[in-house]
Amino acid sequence: MTIEQLDARKSARADSADSAGGARRRYAQEVLALARRWWIELLRERLNLVFSLAQPAIWLVFFGAGVERAIDTEVIGTDDYIGFMLAGIVTFTIVGNGVSGAMPLLWDKETGYLDRLMSMPIARSSVIVSRFVFQVVQQSAQILLVVSVALVLGVRIATGPLGLLVILLTAALLTMSVTAAFSALAYAVPQHGTFFAVAGFVSLPLLFMSNAFVPLGAMPAWMEVVARLNPLTYAIEAMRTLVLDGWEPRVAASLAVLALAGVVCLALGTWQFRKQTGERVRG
Amino acid sequence: MSPAIETAGLRKSFGEHVAIEGLDLTVERGDVFGLLGPNGAGKTTTIRMLTTLLAPDSGTARVCGFDVSAQPSEVRRRIGYVMQRVAYRGLLTGRECVEIEAALYHLPRREIPLLAKAALDAVGMLPHADRRWTTYSGGMQKRLDLACGLLHSPEVLVLDEPSLGLDVQSRHNVWEFVGDRRLGGATILLATNYLDEADRLCNKVAIIDNGRVVVQGSPSELKRAVGADVVEVATREPERLRQVIETERWVKKIVAGDMGDLHIFVEDAAVALPAVMRIGLEHGIGLERVSYSQPSLDDVFLLHTGRELREAGVAS
Repeated sequence: MTIEQLDARKSARADSADSAGGARRRYAQEVLALARRWWIELLRERLNLVFSLAQPAIWLVFFGAGVERAIDTEVIGTDDYIGFMLAGIVTFTIVGNGVSGAMPLLWDKETGYLDRLMSMPIARSSVIVSRFVFQVVQQSAQILLVVSVALVLGVRIATGPLGLLVILLTAALLTMSVTAAFSALAYAVPQHGTFFAVAGFVSLPLLFMSNAFVPLGAMPAWMEVVARLNPLTYAIEAMRTLVLDGWEPRVAASLAVLALAGVVCLALGTWQFRKQTGERVRG
Repeated sequence: MSPAIETAGLRKSFGEHVAIEGLDLTVERGDVFGLLGPNGAGKTTTIRMLTTLLAPDSGTARVCGFDVSAQPSEVRRRIGYVMQRVAYRGLLTGRECVEIEAALYHLPRREIPLLAKAALDAVGMLPHADRRWTTYSGGMQKRLDLACGLLHSPEVLVLDEPSLGLDVQSRHNVWEFVGDRRLGGATILLATNYLDEADRLCNKVAIIDNGRVVVQGSPSELKRAVGADVVEVATREPERLRQVIETERWVKKIVAGDMGDLHIFVEDAAVALPAVMRIGLEHGIGLERVSYSQPSLDDVFLLHTGRELREAGVAS
């Protein structure tokens, strides 16, 4: 096909672009195209792929083998320390992915490719949403791997295979908040050094100020208040309940809080993104 | 049909610094329009406003009749933008880059492989399509960007300094590319600080300096307006020479160049050349070199700004 023939098709395409229902299809097309870009990059970076997949499983083994001996089972309320830790490790992975997942966005911003993307007729949110889709798929693989390791170490999920699906859903909901928040940070900072300074400062306290390692009931009162404001707490509570206890109403409540946090963070991220891309100074 | 690009009183400042000050431009359909000026003149700022990447402070800019602030998505659908900097594309192959961007322009899924192939072929990148982007030379990376700008058959192609930093061969590739599009009737906005590039490729040129249009027209119009010819004289005593020939009837204007030489704008070089040499001899002013040329866009720039384009670029 020649360029002239390409031109001839232009008007036909313009017609189809204006048809009703086309908007959703176009949105899906651009999100998938951007996610394809992230996938190709990940699959070609073999070392990155191996380490990121195996990391949570390795964490679980180290924690399980070592820290377990030092833990008071009265405090955590169960004998199954690895089962208790599983939710914390998954959440830890999600935060780590959130930080490393914002890197390509920083990179696009600093190399100028973001300008190219922004000159295209794509929805402003599709860049962040594509990143979210990509992260969910990537970390679902990580979670399945870490859960398999936990099964080998003797953990039994109280809610069975269906519970595992809900765990993946919970992780995806938290990912929405985390990815959007770190993306917003990536777009807001003047350059990547600031991003890593802030992200490094935030991510560990985010974990310690949740119930990842200590149940809410065992915390000092002030800390419990902080932990209650932390979306991580709700993800961990939901996942931990599904692993240790079974189908409890608080799982649904936690998921509702997570969904709300996700929507808020996504709105925040998109707003930052619009702000930064609408009025950027020079190129 | 509305003009391809139309701006009126366009203004943009960054804090104290006014980058664009009341810019009025009209690019008709089918024009290859050169935006010519030194670095820092406001070319990229103008392009960023026209490509919806930067909001104007005041004034209007329309692309294909659509306002860049009020209807940015209509504008984006109609432009192809090739940035000054090569777009970083990591570990992807050339073909993957083009296919992904084709999807971002919402081209029909089934046609994308063929469209990508045609666009790669148009810039001579088809033989290298399946190599990774990181293995490409600078010229090849630029050609890939050109292919991506072409994918959706944009109504207006915006090229920001397309041959900046390229070797001679790659510059010629870019020129060929623009020449082919021009024959096909495409509208192209081309920012450049290479005069030869603008002269060779564009049918209209606007010279901008300090955020304003200094002068615009076709290259030949602009050059005609300079006067018939330019005589360049290199001498150790430019000021004395200027004094003694300033009053001659055939001198239209004298401007000092950046190497201490004089550019004398004259009616007819055939008359002026011997006269300059005679006057130099009479007053005992040593002339090191005397040459004359048809006016170039550099002379146009010099005439209207009092500076040479090269010098202006270095100074900013």
